Amino acid sequence: MPQPILRLNSISKYFGMTKALSDMSITFNSGEVHAIVGENGAGKSTIIKIMTGIHQPTSGTIELDGKASIMTGPQAAREAGIVAIYQEPMVFPDLDVAENIFISDNSDGLLMRPSEQRKRASALIKRIGIKLDPSRIASGLTLAEQQAVEIARALSQDVRVLIMDEPTASLSAHEAGQLRKIAQNLAGQGVAVVYISHRLEEIFEISDRVTVIRDGSHISTKPIAEVTSDGMITEMVGRGFSKYFEKATSTTRDEVILEVRNLTLEGVFENISFDLHRGEVLCMAGLVGARRTDVALALFGIMPPTSGVVKFKGQTAKFTTPRAAIEAGIAYVSEDRRKLGLAMPMAIKSNVSIVTLDDFLSPLGLLKSEKERKAARHFIDSLNIRTPDVETPVGMLSGGNQQKVMLAKWLNLNPDLFIFDEPTRGIDIGAKAEVHDLIRSVAAKGGAALLISSDLPEVLAMGDRILVMREGHQMSILKHSEATQESIMLHATGQRQETI
Amino acid sequence: MKNIFKLTAAAALSLGTAGATLAGGHSVSLTPGEDINMVLLPKFLGILVFDQANEGAQEAHAELGNTGELLFVGPTPENSTAGQIEIMTTSATQGQGAVMLSNNAGDQIVPSAVAAQAAGTRVVTWDSPIPSGEGEDVFVAQVDFGSIGTVMADMAHSILGGSGQMAVLSATPDAANQNAWIAAMEDALKGEKYSNIELVDIVYGDDQAEVSYNRALALVDKHPNLGVIMSPTTVGIQAAAKAMQDEGMCGQVGVSGLGLPSEMVSYTMNGCAPEFALWDFRDLGYLTYYTAYGLASGQMKGEIGETFNAGRMGDFTIEEDPGRPGSSRILMGDFTVYNSENVEAASK
Amino acid sequence: MLSRIPPQTLRILALLFVLVAVLLFFSTQVPNYLNGRLFNRISSSVAIMALIACGQTLVILTRNIDLSIGSVVGFVAFATGSLITHSPDIPPLVLAAYSILLGACFGVVNGFFVAYARVPSIIVTLGTMALFRSALVEYSDAKSITTNNLPTWLVEFPNTQLFTIGTFQFRAAFVVAILVVIAVHITLSRVRPARKLYAVGSNPEAAEMSGINSKLVIFFAFVLAGALAGLAGFMFLARFGTITVVAGLGFELKSVAAAVVGGVNIFGGSGSVIGALIGTVLIDLIDMSLVRWQLVSEFWREAVLGSLILLSVAADAVLMRRLVKWRVSREKKDAKPEVQA
Repeated sequence: MPQPILRLNSISKYFGMTKALSDMSITFNSGEVHAIVGENGAGKSTIIKIMTGIHQPTSGTIELDGKASIMTGPQAAREAGIVAIYQEPMVFPDLDVAENIFISDNSDGLLMRPSEQRKRASALIKRIGIKLDPSRIASGLTLAEQQAVEIARALSQDVRVLIMDEPTASLSAHEAGQLRKIAQNLAGQGVAVVYISHRLEEIFEISDRVTVIRDGSHISTKPIAEVTSDGMITEMVGRGFSKYFEKATSTTRDEVILEVRNLTLEGVFENISFDLHRGEVLCMAGLVGARRTDVALALFGIMPPTSGVVKFKGQTAKFTTPRAAIEAGIAYVSEDRRKLGLAMPMAIKSNVSIVTLDDFLSPLGLLKSEKERKAARHFIDSLNIRTPDVETPVGMLSGGNQQKVMLAKWLNLNPDLFIFDEPTRGIDIGAKAEVHDLIRSVAAKGGAALLISSDLPEVLAMGDRILVMREGHQMSILKHSEATQESIMLHATGQRQETI
Repeated sequence: MKNIFKLTAAAALSLGTAGATLAGGHSVSLTPGEDINMVLLPKFLGILVFDQANEGAQEAHAELGNTGELLFVGPTPENSTAGQIEIMTTSATQGQGAVMLSNNAGDQIVPSAVAAQAAGTRVVTWDSPIPSGEGEDVFVAQVDFGSIGTVMADMAHSILGGSGQMAVLSATPDAANQNAWIAAMEDALKGEKYSNIELVDIVYGDDQAEVSYNRALALVDKHPNLGVIMSPTTVGIQAAAKAMQDEGMCGQVGVSGLGLPSEMVSYTMNGCAPEFALWDFRDLGYLTYYTAYGLASGQMKGEIGETFNAGRMGDFTIEEDPGRPGSSRILMGDFTVYNSENVEAASK
Repeated sequence: MLSRIPPQTLRILALLFVLVAVLLFFSTQVPNYLNGRLFNRISSSVAIMALIACGQTLVILTRNIDLSIGSVVGFVAFATGSLITHSPDIPPLVLAAYSILLGACFGVVNGFFVAYARVPSIIVTLGTMALFRSALVEYSDAKSITTNNLPTWLVEFPNTQLFTIGTFQFRAAFVVAILVVIAVHITLSRVRPARKLYAVGSNPEAAEMSGINSKLVIFFAFVLAGALAGLAGFMFLARFGTITVVAGLGFELKSVAAAVVGGVNIFGGSGSVIGALIGTVLIDLIDMSLVRWQLVSEFWREAVLGSLILLSVAADAVLMRRLVKWRVSREKKDAKPEVQA
């Protein structure tokens, strides 16, 4: 007997002249997991922001329990029991876990009792089903743990509508499974769960109904039983789709471009050894905490290793700064585009030219802005970046388009070795395919790609070979032909290890 | 009497060079009633002595019947250097007849002062000169920097009863006037009379109450036998006196130097600062105004050896500055030593 | 056990260690150094700056800065002196309340422009630093407040000995400052709304999303900093007696330095007022000891002071890293390896 809790009535939203949503009507029922799917830029974030009072609709109304209500701000939405959990965890890095959970909770009065608070936090964390010391400082938490803190915070409030925006994007398979259980559990307790995910298999697993949106418009809302994967993808992209799980033919050449032997960063990872050929895509698979990113940062000169040998293009390479690595021909596309990837307030063109700025300078040392704009336009076309113009600040773009700008910035460099760190995390299926094409074309042109990914179908589709890591150790290198989701998971969880 | 002596000295000095300007050594009497706009530019606003200088300048302004305007403008304390340069530049573009500057910007003021001179504005410094002398027409010195040394040595001698240890608490290590005075005192201390007085330390309180206060305490900690703290700055002397009073050390360590009667009266009366000295800032403003008026109206050339009459203060002669060869100065005269007998009257 | 100690406490332990190291070093260099007199000197001298650094810390925690704080101290000191000179019968507590309120009013101005008009704090307070100072110049009319016009109770207050331990004298100004710092510390760590200062500075976006009224929090941080600067102005008047328009000049940067040396993150979100207090003591100690150190001439003192401050910050950072590393390795040993699948 699901009851409607929250209803969006013909909501439209304009940002200046740009239309973000038009005539959007959706009803969210208590006790249901309601999935919203759509490509990036389809308007999912805007819907969330309107429900949580961050944006006001240009027209249309919101009904709560059948009564028209106005969400004047996040506080009002929260008081109405509407809570959102975002893809990028929103934690306070300087506060401890318990303080993070109860930051806007005033129920136990003016004075805080840290031990009491920690006890309550422990109980909530237990409900999520992970292990986490509530006195730990949030800055030391992994992304998955930060996510858990956010969920615990939402649980601590009387949630009626829980919006989960890509909550599992950064979680390990096990944690993601637990989270889905919690979502269903909450729905079982009468909460309306709004679930946004790019992992289609998740949506089939947990949701009761699915709404597809495209370009700011409502396409369909159906019970999950009436939906097929193909049908959903077709509705999302507006066209048929088939390429995703195909493994392209290998373009691996004989020449070894990168030789890594016993690479060690004390206390972080040890004895990483592999070869990477021109034309090859080597995937690094592993669970959260496997330290794959740290290996990448070591190769890129950000965290110089304590021991081991790296040979790049036949020469011993000891990069101690990213600058040195870039000059040698290595590009690193970070997983954290906010912190390490893009200058959010700067224009697209400035982000695109930033790594190779020297190429854009006139003999007098002045910036050739026309050349800069041209380069940016080239990438906007070739990577299909959706933006009004090259002057738009990157921060205004959707996640997938930001990711493409970040790729463009490095493509400009024409690197010999491309390190991609979770390049498709949280971006839609269409953009994902485009990124995959791009990685393949880098390899086909004779470059080498090191691809860090937690998405197993992606690893299987892209990797000529797959290096599996676990807690700083190299567990195995699998050939594409011998890799399956199961075999990778066995190595990543430490159930099996090969001596190399 | 002193002026006569100076006159002859100056005459002797410039005999060989510009005998014509002496013209029998008679003094220029300034014609009143000219129309000249002038600016009095203190180190910064809000300090009593500079306001007193302004009073003196206003007095002279009225006396000379200048139909132009006398502006008293200065920077705020936190913006002193940049503010002085800015006001100097603005004055030049406004075509002011003269700028009277108590320089707090060291030689950084030079480019703007030179530009002002080029634009026809006369630059007269007072209280604190431009160290290099560039961009400056003449410096009106409150006292002879040599005699200040003797006066300070004498006050120390009197407080110490002839023998003991003395330390100096100055403003900043690069304050031109304070450094000159300290050097003069060190010179004076070489005299036979002061042979039992030992100068043990020089510290700097940045002309701020709290720093000076702490420095004074550090001095007595560092030198257990210290008898006198000599502070040639009004901020330093009162902070030192307060510090000694707070720590109950007034009987042991006497404070002296340059101070304002209104600020020092209680310390002089209770024995913490038995003697200190100062000149009259009203007179300094008055004399500076006369000098600037004479130069800006073209009645004075500003050459060494030139003598002029400065109203109620009498005759003064431009001479070479002994501390800054190549630059010229006008010496105002003596200063007053204050003690328990005259300080109360002066503080009113 | 060390692994139970929160990082903030570790930071303070590291700072105290550096403090002791500085003390030991100078005791080998300066004769007659380690004694009650040193304690008395430092304790009376840090009383004022500790309050200002404490206020500055509140503002820095929210990712802002208050450069006007020195001008506020100066203005309040003068205005309070002026009030008591003209009405000598005002009771002590009323006079102190007047100072605090006046300071808070300046904080309201800063807080309004930063929080509600959304002008960056460095610009607002750079402006108000000059503005408040000019207001003081105008208000003072080039007169000074002098000790002889102040009531005896006020002048004697800072140096009143409340109690002594051995040769260590605990004077009123110091005790008041310590009590205020402790009160602010307890508030920050235990009173719920005060934790929001940390939240806002730590992650402004998340604070907004969590329904925290960031504007109000930032506004209050400035008002409280103003109030503390007001109290510091009162103490400044009592201690130095003579107040001119330069009073408090340069305090803004000294207070920032004290906070940062004391482990307050200049980018907001972390730090404690106890740290800021120790930072104040450390800077003051180094400064005062250098004056007594024969080896360093006056002209090099500022440079040596700067280097020693940098050195102690570096030593503190290294120590801190060591402690954290040690703690992590202990935690690893303690905890069973976590299997995630």
